[in-house]
Amino acid sequence: MAGRLNRLVDFAPVLIALLLALVVSSVLLIALNANPFEAFDFMLKGAVGSENATAETLVKATPILFVGIGITIAFRGGMINIGGEGQMIAGALAGVTVALVLGEARVPAEMAKTPGAFDLIIVTCSLLGGFLMGALYGGLAGFLKAYFDVNEILSTIMLNQIAVQMMNFLLNGILLDPAEAGFNNIPKTARLVTAAQLPRLSLPIGDPWLFARTRLHWGLIIAMVLAVIIYIFLWRTSWGYRIRAVGENQRASSYAGINVKRQMMFSMFLAGGFAGLAGVVQVLGLQYRLQTDGSPAGFTGAAGFNGIVAALFGGLNPIGAIPAAAFFGGLLVGAQKMQRELGVPASLITAVNGLIVVFVVSSEIFILQRSKRRVSEGEDETPTPNPSSKMREGPSPTEDENSGEGDG
Amino acid sequence: MRKILTIGLLVLFALVGVTSLAQDDVFRIAALMPSATNDLAFSQSMYDALVAIQEELGEDAFEFTIQDSTYIVDDAAVALRDWAASGEFQLVIAHGSQYGPIVEELAAEFTDVSFAWGTRQDTFGMDNVYSYAAASDEGGYFNGVLAAHLTETGVVGLVGPIEVGDGKLYADGFANGVASVDEEIDVNIVFIGSFSDVPLATEAAETHIANGADVLTGTAQMVVGPIAVAVANDVLWFGSDASQDELSEDIGVAFQIYKWDVLLLDMIANIKDGVLGGEYYKLTLENEGLVMEFDKDFEVSDELMALADDVIASIVSGEIVPIPEMMADDKAEEKTEEEGED
Repeated sequence: MAGRLNRLVDFAPVLIALLLALVVSSVLLIALNANPFEAFDFMLKGAVGSENATAETLVKATPILFVGIGITIAFRGGMINIGGEGQMIAGALAGVTVALVLGEARVPAEMAKTPGAFDLIIVTCSLLGGFLMGALYGGLAGFLKAYFDVNEILSTIMLNQIAVQMMNFLLNGILLDPAEAGFNNIPKTARLVTAAQLPRLSLPIGDPWLFARTRLHWGLIIAMVLAVIIYIFLWRTSWGYRIRAVGENQRASSYAGINVKRQMMFSMFLAGGFAGLAGVVQVLGLQYRLQTDGSPAGFTGAAGFNGIVAALFGGLNPIGAIPAAAFFGGLLVGAQKMQRELGVPASLITAVNGLIVVFVVSSEIFILQRSKRRVSEGEDETPTPNPSSKMREGPSPTEDENSGEGDG
Repeated sequence: MRKILTIGLLVLFALVGVTSLAQDDVFRIAALMPSATNDLAFSQSMYDALVAIQEELGEDAFEFTIQDSTYIVDDAAVALRDWAASGEFQLVIAHGSQYGPIVEELAAEFTDVSFAWGTRQDTFGMDNVYSYAAASDEGGYFNGVLAAHLTETGVVGLVGPIEVGDGKLYADGFANGVASVDEEIDVNIVFIGSFSDVPLATEAAETHIANGADVLTGTAQMVVGPIAVAVANDVLWFGSDASQDELSEDIGVAFQIYKWDVLLLDMIANIKDGVLGGEYYKLTLENEGLVMEFDKDFEVSDELMALADDVIASIVSGEIVPIPEMMADDKAEEKTEEEGED
C-alpha cells in the first residue's frame, strides 16, 4: 500500500511539471497574439484528434521507442549514449543496402511494385543488418570507453558527425538512386521493392479497418514486443542483472567478479543496435528509401535525441518508454498542427516543445531524490540509476588494475 | 410565432448558404517550406509570392496556409497528408526538391487533389502533379559576369547547399558567367552538403576569403552565414532566391529574385479550369519569373548598368546560353522522347 502511494506521489511532480510547462508556453503564445486554449486544442487534435492523427503520433513514436529502449539499456549499464542519431544512420545505411541487394536478387523487375508483396527473408535480413551495424557503431564507443577510457559522451557525439558525412557521401555515390544519376541528383537511394517493405498495420475494427488508410506500420509492434523482451532481459536474466550491477556501481561489480569492460561494451552494443533498428525501420516501414537533406535530423527526425528524453521520462524502464515515446510522438505531431492552424512561427513550436521536455524531465530529479531517500531509509526499492553519479564513484574500472576478467 | 420562427430560420439558412457559397469561391493553397519564411532566400521567395497573389486577388478570393521550417522530410509527409486529406485546399505545394518522393506517393493516393513541387522537372507522369523550377543558371550567369568585372584579386567564392536543383544550376551558371569574361579568374565552389547548416556555410565563406576571394555568392537558406562573413570582411556579395538587401548592408551588389507568383497564377487558372496537373513550369528572365535587382546601397556605374542590360537581353534572346551542356542534354532528351513517340 505504501509502495503504491509512493508511486502516486512520484507521478505528481510530472503532472505539476506538465502544468507549469503549459502555463509558461501560454505566456509565449499570448505574447504572439495566439489564444493558448485554442493552441493546445489544436495540439491535442493534431496528436489524437482523428484516426490519421493518432496513427501519425504512433508513427512518430516508433523510432523514438526503439532508441529509448537502447538508451535505457545503456543508461542502466552506466553508459551515456548520445549517439542515437549516428547509430540510426549507420543502421539505416546497412539495412537499406541489404534490402536493395536482396530485393534485386530475389524479386524480378516486373514484380518490384506488386501491391501486398512481402518477402520475410529480405525484411528479416535488412532488420538484422540494421541492428548489427548500429550495434557495431555503438559498440565502438563502448570499446573506446572500456579499454581507452574515452569519454563516451564525446565519442558518440563525434561518431554522429562521422555517420552523417558517411551518409552524405554514400547517397551521392554508390548508393545514389540510378534514376537520379546525372546532371541534377537528389541524394537518395532507389525505392525499395514492395516485398522489402514493412507492411502497413491496421486493426480489425470497423470497415475499413482502423488505421487502414494511414501510414502506421508493423515497426510499432516490433518495437513494443522488443520493449517487453528487453524488460525481461534486464530484470529477469543474469545478463541483464550484470548490466544493471555495472550501472549501479562499477567497482562493486568488479569485486563481485563481473567483467565490467565487457558489460560496458555490451550495453553500448545493444543500445546502438536498437538505434540501428530505429533507422532501418524508418526506411522499411515509412520512407521506402534513404534520403537526406544533408543534415542528420533530415532523416532521423531527431529521434536519436528524443529517444533519450523518452527513456528518462519512462523511468529508464523499457515498458515505461512505450507511453513516453507515444507522449513525445504526440507532442511533436500535435505541435505541427498547432503551427499550421495558428500560423505561429516554427521557432515558437520548438520552444513550447522544449519547455515541456525541460519541465517534465526536471521533475525526474525530484523523483530520483525521493527514490534515493527511500532506499537510504531501508525501503525495498531500487533507485533509478543516475548516469552522472558514476563520476562521483571514484576511478572507473579501466583505471582499476583489479577489474574482473570473468563473468558472474 | 411559428411564422416568425420559420422566416427566421429561412433567413438563417439563406445566410449560411450565402456564406458557404462565398467560401466555395475562395481558392486555398497550402504550402510547405523547408526553412523560415523570413530566410531571405528560398522559402521567403515562395511566401512573398503567396502574399503577392493574395494582394492581387483579394483576401476574400484567395487564402493560404503554410508550415515552414520543415527540414525533417518525414514531418513534411505528416503535413502534406493532413492537407490533402482535409479536402480544404485546391493546391498543395511542397516547396523543396527533397519532398518529391512524398508528393509522388500522396498524389497517387489523393488523385482529386492538385499538388505542386519543385524545384525539379518531374511530374511523375501524374495528372494531378505540377512541377516547377527556376532557371537560376540565368541569374547565376548574370551575377558571374558582374563578379568577374568587379573582382580585383581574381578569386571569387561560391557557397552552395547540396549539389542539386536550382542551387546546382546557379553555381554552374555563375562559373560560366565568370569564365565568359576571364577564364583566368578562379571560381572556388563549395557545396556544404546541407541546405540549413549556417555554421558550416559560414566556415566555407571564411575559407574562401582566406584563399583570396574578394567576391562571394551563394544560394539556399544558409547564406545568412556567408553574408555576415562578407559584411565583416568588406567583401562584395551576390545573392539569389530573394532580395538580401536588408542583410547585406553596403556590400551587396545584385540579387536574383524568384517570382513564383508568375507560375502560381497560371496554375490557379488551370486548376479552376479542371486541369489538376501534368505540367512543368520554369521561371526565366524571359517570362519575368526571374528578376535581377541591384542592391539599393550599391552605386551602379553607367558602364556596369549597360553591361547588365546587355547580358539580360542576350540571355532572353537566346544569344547567351548559360549552361550549353544542359541545353545539349535537354535536346537529347527531347529527341529520345520524339523517337519513343514515333
